[in-house]
Amino acid sequence: MATVTLQNIQKRFGAVNVIQDLSVDIADGEFVVLVGPSGCGKSTLLRMVAGLEEVSGGEIRIGAREVSNLPARDRDIAMVFQNYALYPHMTVEDNMGFALKLKRANPADTAERVKKAAAILGLENLLQRYPRQLSGGQRQRVAMGRAIVRNPQVFLFDEPLSNLDAKLRVVMRSEIKAMHQRIGTTTIYVTHDQIEAMTMADKIVVLHDGNIEQVGAPLELYDRPANLFVAGFIGSPAMNFLDGKIEEGVFRTEKGLILPLPAEVSPAKAGGRPLVYGIRPEHIRASDQGIQGRAAIVEGTGSEIFAKLDCGGEQLSCLFRERIDVRFGDTVGISIDAKQVHLFDKATGHRL
Amino acid sequence: MASVSIETARTETGDKRSKPSRLAPNYWPFVVPALIVIGAVIVFPWVFTLWMSVNSWTLGQAQTFAGLDNYIRLATDFRFWESLWHTLIFTVLAVVAPLFLGTLAALIFDAQFPGRGFLRGVFVMPMMATPVAIALVWTMMFHPQLGVLNYLLSLVGIGPQEWIYNRYSVIPSLVLVETWQWTPLIMLIVLGGLAALPREPYESAEIDGANAWQKFRYLTLPMIAPFLMIGVIIRSIDAIKSFDIIYAMTQGGPGTASETINIYLYNTAFSYYDIGYGSAMAVVFFVIIIALSFALMMVRARANWSDMETR
Repeated sequence: MATVTLQNIQKRFGAVNVIQDLSVDIADGEFVVLVGPSGCGKSTLLRMVAGLEEVSGGEIRIGAREVSNLPARDRDIAMVFQNYALYPHMTVEDNMGFALKLKRANPADTAERVKKAAAILGLENLLQRYPRQLSGGQRQRVAMGRAIVRNPQVFLFDEPLSNLDAKLRVVMRSEIKAMHQRIGTTTIYVTHDQIEAMTMADKIVVLHDGNIEQVGAPLELYDRPANLFVAGFIGSPAMNFLDGKIEEGVFRTEKGLILPLPAEVSPAKAGGRPLVYGIRPEHIRASDQGIQGRAAIVEGTGSEIFAKLDCGGEQLSCLFRERIDVRFGDTVGISIDAKQVHLFDKATGHRL
Repeated sequence: MASVSIETARTETGDKRSKPSRLAPNYWPFVVPALIVIGAVIVFPWVFTLWMSVNSWTLGQAQTFAGLDNYIRLATDFRFWESLWHTLIFTVLAVVAPLFLGTLAALIFDAQFPGRGFLRGVFVMPMMATPVAIALVWTMMFHPQLGVLNYLLSLVGIGPQEWIYNRYSVIPSLVLVETWQWTPLIMLIVLGGLAALPREPYESAEIDGANAWQKFRYLTLPMIAPFLMIGVIIRSIDAIKSFDIIYAMTQGGPGTASETINIYLYNTAFSYYDIGYGSAMAVVFFVIIIALSFALMMVRARANWSDMETR
C-alpha cells in the first residue's frame, strides 16, 4: 500500500493537449474514482500512472518513489482492464500466477497465493478453465484475481464493468468495493458512470476536458457541486437548470416562473446578474398548493415516478418517491425544497 | 389484414414442404455434370491406380494380375526405403528452415520502419517464380567452378563446395533452394497471425513485469502457434510431394543421393515403364501423405486456442 501523488501532470498527443496541469493527492488505502464523460482524459491519466503512456510533464509518485519515467513493470502496480486483457491461451490459474512466474517466484508459493486470491473471488472451481470458457463476470473476477495475487502497492481499474450487463455490473460493483475493504490497497478507479463513482468511492475526482472540475467525497459532490458541470454530471436523473435572476427576494426565470430561494442567499450580493437555478428532480415534491405544471412525460418504475412537467414554459424533471396518480396531460402541483436549491453564476458557471 | 396474409403464406410454405419428392428428381441434371467431372478426374484415376498396383504391367507388354506382389516387392526394395529416408530428411529440413526464417522475417516486417512495404514486396518475390526457372538459376549458382556461391565463399576464405554435385551436400543444397522460395509464404502466414493478435494482453504483461523476450516466449509464440501450424501443414504437404525442383536440378542424383519417393516412382513408371510397381508406390505414398495430414490436423487442433473460443 502507498500514497499516490500526481503533480502538475500534463499530456499532449502531438498538438492536442489532453491533460493540462493536473494535481491530485491520493491517501494510503483510499479508493479514488476518476469520473468524467468520454474523452475527458481519465483513462489517459490512469494509463500514465500505470506506465503505459508517457507523461508529457509533471511528476507521478507512488509512496516516496518518483515513477514518472519508470517502465510499468517497475512501478509495483496492478491493473484491471475494461476488456479484461486475460491471456487467452493460459488457464485461469496460469493467468493469475503469470506475474509471479515472471519473477521466478517459488511455484509452491505462487500456487498458494493463487489459491488464496481464488478463494477471495470465488474462483476455486474455475482454476483449470481457459478464459474462453468463462462468462463476462467470471473473466472480470479473474482479472481482479490476477491483480490481487501480485499484492501491489496500487490497484488501477480502467472501466472494468463497462462490458457487463446491468445486473452483473451491480453485483461486481459490490464485489470490488468489498475486496477493497478487505484488502485495503490504494485504488484508482476510472469510470464514466457517476453511479459507480458515487457508490464505490472514498473520493471522487470529476474530470472534464483534461481539467479537474471538483475533488471530494461523493456526498460532498452531490450536496455542494462546485460548478454547473459537476451539478449536471453527478446525480441521476440530472439536475434541472433554469436561467433567470433574483428579483425582490425570489428567483424569476426568463419565462417568468417564480421559484423559492435558500435562506442563506443574500439577494443584495447575487441580485441583478444572470444566474442559473439548480434543483434536483428528487428534491421536488408533489403539493396541492405549489407551482402548477402539465405532465409532458410520465414514467413509473414502481419505486418512483419520473415526470417532466411544463410549468409556464419551463421544463422541470421531477422524481416522486410517493405514489401519486399522474398521467400524461394532467396538471400537477409541486413544491420545491428551498434548502436543496443550488445557484450558479451563469457567466462563470461557478456556485454562488 | 396482416394476420390473414401471414396465414396464407404459411399455408403455401406448408404445401411446398409436403411435396418434396415430386421436385427432388429435377435437381439431378444440375448435379450430373459435376459428378462426371469428379468421376473422370478424381475417382477414375484413383481406382485405375489401385487396379494397376495389383497388376504386373510394363508398357508394351501384356498386363497380368499380380495380387499383392508389387507391395511385397516394395517392402524388400532397398532403393524404395532409401528414397523414403531421403523424403523424410528433405521434408523435415524444408519445413523447419522456412518456418524458423519465415517467423523471424514476420517479426521483423511486423515492426514499423521506413521502406517496409517495398522490402516486403521484394521479400515475397521468390514465391512467385516458376520452380523450373528457379532450378535453372540455382543450378548455375551451385556450379563448382562458375557458380556465384563458391565465389562468395571464397571472399570469406572458405574453399569451394560441391553443393548438388556431392551425395552428402545435395539434400541440404536442395533444401536451401526450397527455403529461399518458401520462406516468404511462412512470413505472410505468420505476419497475418501477428496482425490479428490482441493488443491488451501485451499491456497486461507489461504491467505483470514481462520483458521483450518474455512477451515473445509466453505471449506471441503461443498465440501465433495456430498460424505456425497452418504453415507447417502447408509446407509439409508441399515438401513431401516436392518434385519439380529436385527433378530439374539433380534428377535424384548424384547416383540416388537425392532420390525422393516422388522421383523414384516417376522413374519407375516413366523411365522403366514399370507401371504396376510405380502405381503400388503411388498408393503407399498417398497413404503416407494422408496419415501425415491427419497427424498434423490433430496437432493443429491442440495448438489452436482461438478456435476453441467459439466452442
